[in-house]
Amino acid sequence: MKSPPTPAHVQPLNRRRWLAVLGSSLAGLFSLVPSRRAEGGGRERQKEAAMPDGYDPTRHRWLMALDINRCIGCALCVAACKTENKVPPEPTYFRTWIERYIIRKPGPGSGELRGSTIVDSPNGGRDGFPPSAIPRDQILRSFFVPKLCNLCEQSPCTQACPVGATFQAPDGVVLVDPHYCIGCGFCIQSCPYGCRFLNPNTRTAEKCTLCYHRITRGLKPACVEVCPGGARIFGDAMHPLPDDPLSEFVAKNKVQTLKPYLGTGPRVLYAGMDKEVR
Amino acid sequence: MRPHRIPPQILRLILLTLAIVGVYSVARYFLTPASFGRYGWYRAAALGEIAAYPPDYAGKAACAQCHKDKAEQIAKGPHKALSCESCHGPGMAHVGNPDVKLVKPAAPLCLRCHEANPSRPEWLKQVTLADHYGENCLECHVPHQPNEAP
Ligand code: HEC
Ligand code: HEC
Ligand code: HEC
Ligand code: HEC
Repeated sequence: MKSPPTPAHVQPLNRRRWLAVLGSSLAGLFSLVPSRRAEGGGRERQKEAAMPDGYDPTRHRWLMALDINRCIGCALCVAACKTENKVPPEPTYFRTWIERYIIRKPGPGSGELRGSTIVDSPNGGRDGFPPSAIPRDQILRSFFVPKLCNLCEQSPCTQACPVGATFQAPDGVVLVDPHYCIGCGFCIQSCPYGCRFLNPNTRTAEKCTLCYHRITRGLKPACVEVCPGGARIFGDAMHPLPDDPLSEFVAKNKVQTLKPYLGTGPRVLYAGMDKEVR
Repeated sequence: MRPHRIPPQILRLILLTLAIVGVYSVARYFLTPASFGRYGWYRAAALGEIAAYPPDYAGKAACAQCHKDKAEQIAKGPHKALSCESCHGPGMAHVGNPDVKLVKPAAPLCLRCHEANPSRPEWLKQVTLADHYGENCLECHVPHQPNEAP
């Protein structure tokens, strides 16, 4: 069979012409690359916000540790966090909160050493803790546990984000870029510690930033500032100060992390933790 | 020999693919922020933006600059580990302008830390209001040096 004749206006595309078309298209594309490399290039609409006082995020590694035996449950930290970070006042929006654990005495003849565990956190502890309804003589042990972002090494939240809006900064703090977040809530679902929430006003995900605006200025996070008992210990693992409370804390205490079996590699350390704490 | 021909429908597909890749690359070039990718797969400029928020709590060192007497007094007593702002609230506005008054707390705040509660650690001195000497803590305790009577 004969192939139909080529119409006159269609030029036969032989290999040579085809290669020429391909080559020039690729060259056109790659010519974009050098201008992309040149940072700035007038494309960032406003000037990049500078770090306070030449703060260099690659020269720090922030960390918080919690000493459960030092927590008195005043929860001034919860109130201070909400004020400092403009967290909505309603319950369920928390960047840090306090949980009260009450382990009951075992029933007689139950064959157990410890009774049931009751955990509560009325309004995250923001208004303090009223004495519990369980009478003192039925309580085996009771204590408060402060909770916050665990600064995971293998953070599930940053991996769940589809747009690169949440990330671990070089200084170890996990942050949310409010201009990039699309509010899909994947990160909130993926955090096994429940440390994130969707801000109802901005419709973006929010979480503990270790008070990034404070630590970059040389201040302590607000919760650490107001803690009366020294339950919250904050420091820089890369450049510890000579009398660094964090190094001293790690040297003196046997420390644990929350839910280590999940493989998230939490960096926040707890001392004096009971097996009931999750 | 017959010149090698690309069938026209394949050619259209190739050109379409190139066009899509080209449009994507151009769009990506214009839409990706300049600082994206400096430290990782995110916008590095966000670090500076988040760091630019204004703090509300000034820190104990700031208070001590003007209230040296109070800072020295508190360092002598059992409240030495407490920050001024634990009791007086966020003080940045007051540091900038002392005419902005801070709260002078009273008994409810003392009880927030000292009311007897079985969940509290034993090292903390706790009182049951009904068994203690009275409701007005400041009548008998100087807040900055609570083992002293005013
Ligand atoms: C710039 C100096 C300055 C700094 C810094 C400062 N204060 Fe003051 N403060 C003053 C002055 C001046 C007054 C007296 C104002 C008056 O009596 O009208 C005052 C008064 C007070 C009062 C009494 C208010 C009243 O109602 O009588 C308290 C409480 C107080 N300061 C707490 C603090 C705390 C807490 C801090 C740290 C966050 C702090 N101040 C930092 C200058 C300062
Ligand atoms: C335990 C809570 C507490 C802490 C911590 C505390 N204060 Fe006070 N402060 C009070 C109370 C309560 C009063 C009100 C006293 C009164 O009404 O007589 C007060 C009053 C004051 C006053 C008013 C002057 C006076 O003596 O009445 C100043 C100034 C002040 N505080 C500064 C400071 C500074 C500076 C610090 C940090 C070094 C600090 N306070 C820490 C509870 C506290
Ligand atoms: C933010 C929490 C907090 C607040 C608010 C607070 N205290 Fe204290 N208080 C402490 C801590 C922590 C200690 C030191 C630990 C201890 O000795 O019990 C302490 C110690 C004391 C002591 C000394 C106990 C002793 O003999 O060693 C007295 C008395 C006291 N406070 C009274 C008060 C009074 C009165 C107020 C209200 C003006 C007050 N406290 C407010 C946390 C607080
Ligand atoms: C009428 C005076 C008076 C009043 C009012 C008063 N206290 Fe006391 N408080 C004392 C005396 C005296 C002591 C010394 C220790 C004792 O006798 O228990 C003391 C001790 C304390 C202690 C240390 C307890 C211990 O085990 O060593 C705390 C904490 C305390 N008071 C807190 C408060 C608080 C909080 C209030 C306000 C609700 C308050 N006090 C009101 C007189 C008073």
